Amino acid sequence: MIAVTRRRPELGLLFWVGALGVTGSVAVAAAEVAGFRPQQLVIPVTFIVIAFALHLFLAARGIRGDQLLLPIAAALTAIGLVLVQRLASNLLVQQLSWTLIAAGAFAATILIPRDLTALSRFKWTWALLGVLLLLSPLLPVIGREVNGARIWVGLGTVTFEPWEAVKLLLVIFFAAYLEEFREVLSQTQRRFGPIPVPPLPYFGPIVAMWAIAMVVMVFERDLGATLLFLGIFLAMLYLATGEAFYTLIGILLLLVGGYFAYHAFGHVAARVDVWLHPFAEDVRFDSGYQLVQGLFALANGGLFGAGLGNGMPDRIPVVWSDFVFDAFAEEVGFAGALALLALYLLFVYRGMLIALRAPTAFLQLLAAGLSFIVAVQTLVIVGGNARLIPLTGITLPFVAYGGSSLVTNWMLVALLIRVSDLTARVKGTP
Amino acid sequence: MTRSIAANIRGLTLTIALAFLVTSIGVGYWTLVSGEELSADPFNPRLVAAIRDRPRGIITDAANNKLAESVQTANGYKRVYADKTLAHVTGYASFQFGASGIEAAYAESLIGQDPADPLSQWRARYLRERVPPGSVMLGINQAVQQAAVAALGNRRGAIVAIDPRNGAILASASWPQYDANLISDPATEDAAWKQVNEDPNKPLINRVTQGLYPPGSTFKIITGAAAIENGVDPNAKVRVDDPWQADKSWGTYFVRSSSRAHGDYTMADGYRLSENIYFAKIGLQIGGPKIAEYAQRFGIGAPSRCDITAAKGQVSRTGALDRPTLIADTAYGQGELLVTPLQMALVAATIGMGGVMPTPHYANEVRDAEGHALRVIAPGPSGQVINPETARALTTMLVGAVEGPGAFAFAAKIAGVHVAGKTGSAENPSGAPHGWFVGFAPAEAPTVAVAILLENSPKGGEDAAPLGGRVMAAALGK
Repeated sequence: MIAVTRRRPELGLLFWVGALGVTGSVAVAAAEVAGFRPQQLVIPVTFIVIAFALHLFLAARGIRGDQLLLPIAAALTAIGLVLVQRLASNLLVQQLSWTLIAAGAFAATILIPRDLTALSRFKWTWALLGVLLLLSPLLPVIGREVNGARIWVGLGTVTFEPWEAVKLLLVIFFAAYLEEFREVLSQTQRRFGPIPVPPLPYFGPIVAMWAIAMVVMVFERDLGATLLFLGIFLAMLYLATGEAFYTLIGILLLLVGGYFAYHAFGHVAARVDVWLHPFAEDVRFDSGYQLVQGLFALANGGLFGAGLGNGMPDRIPVVWSDFVFDAFAEEVGFAGALALLALYLLFVYRGMLIALRAPTAFLQLLAAGLSFIVAVQTLVIVGGNARLIPLTGITLPFVAYGGSSLVTNWMLVALLIRVSDLTARVKGTP
Repeated sequence: MTRSIAANIRGLTLTIALAFLVTSIGVGYWTLVSGEELSADPFNPRLVAAIRDRPRGIITDAANNKLAESVQTANGYKRVYADKTLAHVTGYASFQFGASGIEAAYAESLIGQDPADPLSQWRARYLRERVPPGSVMLGINQAVQQAAVAALGNRRGAIVAIDPRNGAILASASWPQYDANLISDPATEDAAWKQVNEDPNKPLINRVTQGLYPPGSTFKIITGAAAIENGVDPNAKVRVDDPWQADKSWGTYFVRSSSRAHGDYTMADGYRLSENIYFAKIGLQIGGPKIAEYAQRFGIGAPSRCDITAAKGQVSRTGALDRPTLIADTAYGQGELLVTPLQMALVAATIGMGGVMPTPHYANEVRDAEGHALRVIAPGPSGQVINPETARALTTMLVGAVEGPGAFAFAAKIAGVHVAGKTGSAENPSGAPHGWFVGFAPAEAPTVAVAILLENSPKGGEDAAPLGGRVMAAALGK
């Protein structure tokens, strides 16, 4: 028999999230030529029903622990729906359907597996599944190439980016593997000057796993996912061993690899050139058009923005997936952009807090790794939008249009809540 | 002992927090700091957006005739241009392809955010309040403009007339033309843009400000100015024997006289008969650096101070004149020289103004929505580039080049007024020589200076000179 829990703070916060979704949707509709029509409320109301249903589900299952992650993720998803309505209203129903699927995936992840340690026990299964998923876009029938990157699989009209799921599998595998061997990996006595020489037999498997991911992503021409996987690998290694030198070597490898990629792959060189000289005459109307239009949008933002629906972010090509941050910043200004970044930082902070309190090394590594995914994705895409780093095709978690990303990110939230729940049970706190 | 995972988590979280801070600063830079510059970028569609969402300011000529205005259609506002012959001046304002000409140069003024009205800029930026747009009044004088357009006809080339006293551009014609209405209309912009960009005659280029041509003999004005100020006596006789080379090291290369001349020439003769060998000789006498310096003083190879986009031209590919043959060729206007018609009109204006070079400007005034002047465009002269005495001596010789016996530029004469001028036939790789005429009138106190350029004109300067006369006559009300 499961004891029902009261999740009062979560419930209270969800009211604010609901208000955010409704006001955003109405504001966008009101700024359009056709004006606001009551039937447009169907979308935010459906979303609110989904969000409250998830809350009731958690309470009914007697889930304890963190009560902030669900409202934050729901708020980000609400912002995402408002922005899809603003920037690509023809995709709105599709995005709402994906939200429903994501909620289902969230609920399923809360229920299965019954025992979280199963994740750790079947680590080689996850590794194999990850590799298969990574290779799936290269298969003839289901593989799809979009905008030069072969990272999609499709069945009928439904398409999916497998690497979105692979990022979760990668964190689970690393957490499990590193829990087992972290002592061996970090307590090595052999040092070459200040550089630790890792015991290769134990080091091999994770490097192999990472290398496969890298090679496949390079083959599928996805810069963003390659960067994310490298980030996950380095962060997990650092979390497990505390060896800053591994990270340093990893960053060195990134620079060397980046140098060769720049000279070997046209698409990498193009991205870097656009980043360095977006305003050059021959770039701004060509490969740099998207970034330049994005920067124009940011510059128009000012402190408080143009107001939802009043900016011109629709001049940015594919704004709803790649440049949703710039679009948001144009219409709500620096103040709104900071608030959005604060939401992400709060999410990451809560995730890391869950990691800190988790009872086992596996759960600690798992929670920290999952939180790190959200942090890196946010930083890489916002940094790309604001021309701090070269632009990559990473999605802004929960907000950018896209089904695969939304579903896996909600599964990520579910995993974090489960770690938190388990911690509360073990330690006896609410 | 292994560092605890908890400590590593704290370290990682701190790193992430720092990265968020850096990212926030980056976002703050683009939203708050860069705004001023990026908002004024002519390719920022937000500047052009006003064409669709609300009326953009109007552009008028000097007599307040509307040249560009916004009219309301079913899909919002659309930019309409009244005068196709001024398409290069007003430019276009396309939602997709940005803006050009006055539409770009005065983009902020045309959406009610003129730099002279910082309050309007501040209100737009931080409060999102829109001041109703004002207007931009140009110096274009319809009588002169129509004379220029008629003179040019359907010949590839450019005609510009400028008031030498203040630098206001009175007429500006460039052919071939394009229809700015088509590029500014969302319904036709794609096709029109494709068409004008694929046209080998490059109709989008304003040949007045952006067309680069060898100046031919019109450049001799600059060579003469440099020579007089560097010890050459304009009255001294110089022996001319066609063909000529300085010494045997030139091999098979000779400077040719267009009149196969043999005789003794003064500088006045040199201008009247446009004698290449005379100017090649005095050019070599004063040396390449002096010629390059004077060309620079007249603005050739220097960033343009014109209010709309203008090319800067070149003295030579490297900017230096270091080989004897290059110096000789440059001295009579060939070599690697490239100039715009506007630059040559300014050379003429400068001589007429006693060596004071005016700063060219298409717009005369920016007004607010009520019609009050926000800003008068009066940039003041660029400086005294040659001595008044030199300019006076050159003026006398250039009057001789139009009115003297057997003068090449005789066709530029205007009854009752002394005209100073110089023709040029510029050899070029694309066919027949380009025909040039530059001049000003009345010679003693000019109120108009012109430059005529006809691309690949069969008789070169001979074709251009009468057009110069007609345009100046129109400006003088004759």
